[in-house]
Amino acid sequence: MKETSNKYLISALLLGLAFHGSSIFFTLETTYDALIHLFFADHYANSWFEPWNYEWYTGFTVQSYPPLVHQSIGLLSMVGGLKFGMFSVALIAIVLFITGTYRFSLLMTGNKTVSGYACLLAVFSSSFVETLHIFGQLPSIVGVSVLMHALPEIYLWLKTGKKWYLATSLSLIAVTVTSHHVTPIFGMVFFIFPLIGMVIMDVSREQVNTMKEVTFKIFLNTFFKLFKRIVSFGMLSLVLIIGCIFPYWLNSKANPITQVPIPHGSRDNFLEITSSGLVFFLIPWGILLILLPYIFYRYYSKRYLFFGLSVTICTILGTGGTTPVPLKMLGETAFNILTLDRFTLWASILSIPLMGEFAYRFVEGDLKTLIQTKLGAVYHRIIGGILAGLAVFMVIFTMSLNYFRPSQPQKIKMLPIVNFLNQDDHDKWRFLTLGFGDQMAWLSAQTDAMTVDGNYHSARRLPELTTRPIERLENSKFKGVAGIGSLQQFLTTPEKYNLKYIFSNDKFYDPILYFCGWQRLRQLENGIMVWERLNIPPVSAILPKEDVAKWLKIHWGIIPFLTVLIAFVLNIQMLFVLALKTRVKPKPDFLKFPIAYTKFNRNVLRITHLWSLILAIIVFYGIYLFYLKNESQISPENAIVAYYDALDFKEFEKAHSLIDPNSNIPIAQYMLEISVTDGLLSSYAKMDAIETEITALNDSTVSAKVTSQWITPLEKIEKVDYKSLSKIKGKWFLQPDDLNNDLPPDQLYSDNVTKYFNQGRRRITTEATHHEDILKQPVLEVIQAKLVQFDGSYAIIGEVQNIDNVPADVILKGTLYNDDNKQLATYNAKYHVKHKLMPKESSSFRINFEGIAWSKTQDSIPDTFNPDEFTPVEFEEQPTKFNLQVAGNVSGSDLYKNVVLSDVNIKDCMLNGNLFNSGIQEITIPQLLITYYDNDQNMVWVDHMFVKAGVRQQRKQHFEYPIIIDGDVKIINDDMKNIFVNGLPNEDISDKIVPNRIKNHTNAELQPIDHLDFSGIKIEINTYIGSPN
Amino acid sequence: MQIKRTYLLLLGLMLLSSFAVVQHTKVVSTEIKLVSTETEFEVGQPIVLRFSTSRNVPLDLYCSNSYGSTVISSSLKNNTLEFVIPENITKKIGAINWTLLDETKSLSGKLHVLPKPEVVSMETYIGPPSIEAGGKDYTTLVVIPTDSLDNPVPTNTLVDAKFQFLDSEEGFDIFTKNLIAYRNIYSKRPSGRMLVSSESIGINSKEYTINVMPSIPTDFKISATRPHDYADGNQVTTFWTTIIKDEYNNVVSDGTFVTFFIKNKKGHMLKTTGTTIDGIANSKIIHPDFADKWSVKAYVDGMSESNSISISYKQVIKDFDVEFSEHNRLIEIGPLQSFMDQMIPDGLHIKLKIYQKNTLINTLTKTSFNGYTSFKLKPAIYQNDDYNFSIETAGLSKEFKSIKLW
Repeated sequence: MKETSNKYLISALLLGLAFHGSSIFFTLETTYDALIHLFFADHYANSWFEPWNYEWYTGFTVQSYPPLVHQSIGLLSMVGGLKFGMFSVALIAIVLFITGTYRFSLLMTGNKTVSGYACLLAVFSSSFVETLHIFGQLPSIVGVSVLMHALPEIYLWLKTGKKWYLATSLSLIAVTVTSHHVTPIFGMVFFIFPLIGMVIMDVSREQVNTMKEVTFKIFLNTFFKLFKRIVSFGMLSLVLIIGCIFPYWLNSKANPITQVPIPHGSRDNFLEITSSGLVFFLIPWGILLILLPYIFYRYYSKRYLFFGLSVTICTILGTGGTTPVPLKMLGETAFNILTLDRFTLWASILSIPLMGEFAYRFVEGDLKTLIQTKLGAVYHRIIGGILAGLAVFMVIFTMSLNYFRPSQPQKIKMLPIVNFLNQDDHDKWRFLTLGFGDQMAWLSAQTDAMTVDGNYHSARRLPELTTRPIERLENSKFKGVAGIGSLQQFLTTPEKYNLKYIFSNDKFYDPILYFCGWQRLRQLENGIMVWERLNIPPVSAILPKEDVAKWLKIHWGIIPFLTVLIAFVLNIQMLFVLALKTRVKPKPDFLKFPIAYTKFNRNVLRITHLWSLILAIIVFYGIYLFYLKNESQISPENAIVAYYDALDFKEFEKAHSLIDPNSNIPIAQYMLEISVTDGLLSSYAKMDAIETEITALNDSTVSAKVTSQWITPLEKIEKVDYKSLSKIKGKWFLQPDDLNNDLPPDQLYSDNVTKYFNQGRRRITTEATHHEDILKQPVLEVIQAKLVQFDGSYAIIGEVQNIDNVPADVILKGTLYNDDNKQLATYNAKYHVKHKLMPKESSSFRINFEGIAWSKTQDSIPDTFNPDEFTPVEFEEQPTKFNLQVAGNVSGSDLYKNVVLSDVNIKDCMLNGNLFNSGIQEITIPQLLITYYDNDQNMVWVDHMFVKAGVRQQRKQHFEYPIIIDGDVKIINDDMKNIFVNGLPNEDISDKIVPNRIKNHTNAELQPIDHLDFSGIKIEINTYIGSPN
Repeated sequence: MQIKRTYLLLLGLMLLSSFAVVQHTKVVSTEIKLVSTETEFEVGQPIVLRFSTSRNVPLDLYCSNSYGSTVISSSLKNNTLEFVIPENITKKIGAINWTLLDETKSLSGKLHVLPKPEVVSMETYIGPPSIEAGGKDYTTLVVIPTDSLDNPVPTNTLVDAKFQFLDSEEGFDIFTKNLIAYRNIYSKRPSGRMLVSSESIGINSKEYTINVMPSIPTDFKISATRPHDYADGNQVTTFWTTIIKDEYNNVVSDGTFVTFFIKNKKGHMLKTTGTTIDGIANSKIIHPDFADKWSVKAYVDGMSESNSISISYKQVIKDFDVEFSEHNRLIEIGPLQSFMDQMIPDGLHIKLKIYQKNTLINTLTKTSFNGYTSFKLKPAIYQNDDYNFSIETAGLSKEFKSIKLW
């Protein structure tokens, strides 16, 4: 028999390569996963046999992910760089996928034309498009494609018992295993088990005349007949699954994933969170949704019965949290670890052969005849057009999803960052990126510097990370509660992780960085702001690692490629044999069971019609609801929500369009008014929730009480506004608010200030510590410090002064001990200190002792986040002593002190006042540090408050501070013995430099308050300047 | 019986063998003798240790100095063992301990490598780089003159330390001891910059700089300047200090932080801060918008303070009009006129307190514009009822009882 090339397959390959091959250059780098694989590939390219990677998470092992795809990229990167490697592997994956679907379809249908249709459609299958171009899951695609290649070989082994097929099938399973671990395990269940069922069916069928005669008895007999082959295949593939990536299993046993589950969209209720429903259900199913009745009808025929079960289970599991079924089927643990979108992917891949079959029957088979005879040729053409149009729409929609809703920040030029890290030994410290998205993996791949963060959350090891449901610190703002809470701990005690540099691509994090004691270094030419923290020791030269046996390293380095080599030899050799026609190739057994496409079941057509109608109604209703929810001026509620959303996203033009046009505020004026408001709320807040209470006056005027919740990096803010709305020509508009008219007396201001410049290295040298290049640490003095207990938690409070002649950056580290001198807790001062002090300036401070938040029980995580909240560390023993280490370093930045307390009034425990900005920088966030003194004028507590609005130059800003009512502070220890400044005893410094200190010098100037426990307060002001100029 | 004999035999053999060992050692120890007599060498000279031996067996020599230990093999010539001490050991001054590695290690000794009285380079350290004026604080100069082989020079080598400070240039003779020469340099009363260098046997160091910083500040005086003495809530008053100096009459360093505390008539504490330039700190504060009397005192926390001064501000707004319209829901306030009857500058705060049934339900604050302001009471928030209003601005207050909103 002359073998002809399948023109459908060839055109599918050409089309697939041209379409996907050219578009990956625009999509792959912005996908979620591709860059992570690139980072792993970089690891293999640099150290093929050493599985320990120091760059992420203070070290992790790459044996936590199957290596084949990473190693392939790594190997190809030797030729043309990492990205060349990634794109080459992606092209290979595309070819493997298309040929895989062809072979799988041929196995299922036994018809080459149908298979040709199937693989042609597979090129444009939206689940494949999404997995490749949006998720970038290369290992998963390679895994499932190779698995599809393996299926015919498995069939032939089971059917014929020829050992050759056992070898080929096992060789392909091995490749699957080394490229993706989950695919073969679940592939066993969802692909191979039903395949075994089908083989048994086929063998049984051969014993009788028609499919109908296959009874359960015959089926069972056949099963026992084939039992040996099935078991031998099963056992051997189990050996391969374990053996090929044995180090992986060993590692998962040694480091089991014991972390708080990270929320994933595929576990959401798709009806509630429609965006998840779109990405994890609608897109992967795509056009297949319409064919569902046909798919189920065909898969529940006797031969495919087991595939029917498999596709049903996959479909149900793929619905995530929409129904409680997946949770019950998988159990709590598996449900929370697995991402459920993969089930939908498999269901859609299982459906591909039938999609091809449907297309074939529709285009040139019995379905065409049926429709044309019943409903007419025109109808057939229209339906064909609609289906084709929908399919094309789904592809375009999926491909463009990243364009309209970017999942990643704009592409960041990494070169300036890489250069920065290589300069001046900056890579001797760890760094952290903020707001980089998955591009942080690309940065890590390009540099040897280490970060505390990482992008492969299964490998996290620090308890500060594993106890939070966050993937990365880098995007912590999107993770509300836990996110910023976790980030705060890293920012407050960075010396623990040798974290010195932060690259921020998101202004949102600036205030928290500032108030945790970080300072801006400079902006790189790619717009990334570099923040640094002083007094951080460099990473030690020798870092701990979890070593594994040498044979495991060699196994991990060699076996994956060996499996590819063996599979290549075994399978490609067949191709050569075929090409050279040296041997007459027997017709594969599965081609013996084709189906005659003669009579399309009418009921199926009817049900499909009905189903399509239902789908159409659901879709249109969904669009209608979407319209109602998003049409901004259809109701006053919508108008308010739209207005606040527009403000939140800084879409001022849109916000302006919602303002009453009769108020005659031009956009220029509106922008002017908006742009003069700076501060925590207007510049650094993200709206979390909004609630409107509408009081209708008449049909065209309403008043609304708007309660909005805002998350800022520092604290959660609740804001209540009263808005009036009016209806003009059926549309609701907001009335504009009043302005602050404050006008300073002068046009031009001048100011003299002392500025400082620390040039760092005076000589261009790489000598590590040239002693002349090192500045003396400024001398600080702790004037008083005491350990107090207030409201159930312990804190060290006190006052520190810069007694040197240069400005100082202050870092305070407190440690608590019990009576037996056992160390109980240690932490740094976070918000409650002015981190930058001018010569002779003093600051009150408070050190809270934070535990690793929410580490105790998972369910104590609050639902809504208050960044200001912290988890006090739980003491098993009573702390009675403390040690305070103060470090000063010369710093010339953030020394703006021109803020004035210009008015104070106290009434009913509410302190009102005005802050006046007497300088020439705009204060973005003023912070008040309030020190409380007891009736004997001893300081007992330090509190703080962030003023929500900024203060413009030469203007006033009103603030309100509620005085603490319950003031039962217990002083536990006020012994100043264990206080050290720059490593020297505080007392010696004090005696030498300020021997005649006037004790409690400014106590006469305390603000008296009428309070049971306190006699007075002291107000200090700290300022954050958002954009210094 | 058999066993007993075997034991005896074994014991005998052991006894015999021990004798053999003792004898052997005796023989060896008498065989080898140290021939070299010199124990002191100048650094850099070759050192050879010679031993006479009767046996033709080469031996090793263990030797160690401050840099580490090594084992040297010998060369055997005419019954003389020769050990050439390697250069890396003879190049370092100090003691060399050696032990001959024969069976008993009985021969050992000590050699001394002495420094050369020449200086090729000088290591100089000085720190801390800044000290406080007044004669109490000091910095330490450490000079280590070294020879061509980077060894410290002999004890009591002369080092001439030279200082320049203001008008004086001084030199001190110091002598090396324990390998180094050092001197504590105490500050003088004035602040300034001290340049330091050192010299030894014709070799000079480079220049080092010590900053002598002023000591802690002493008491000072303050004054205030302002465009006018009206409480218009708009103009800015500036406080000045006199030149702040330390006890040795040095002007304090730039950036010294001074806090001005202001106590107003109500007894509330206001606060403004400034940093010094050339010893003078200035600090600004906006005028109050009501008549007030301030008492001002400045502090450098814990160290010094100023005299207390008193300044007062005159009331500018004598009275203002309030008009109700639009069902009493629009309250217009103004004109607000300043001391020359000009309209008050924009931004004066006007507070409207709204009482319903004698309980405060809300406080609205607005700023004046062109001398006027208005409040609009939205019907959705303030239902039709009788309300009491209190309007406060510039320290004045007006009450309006039982105003009906409809």
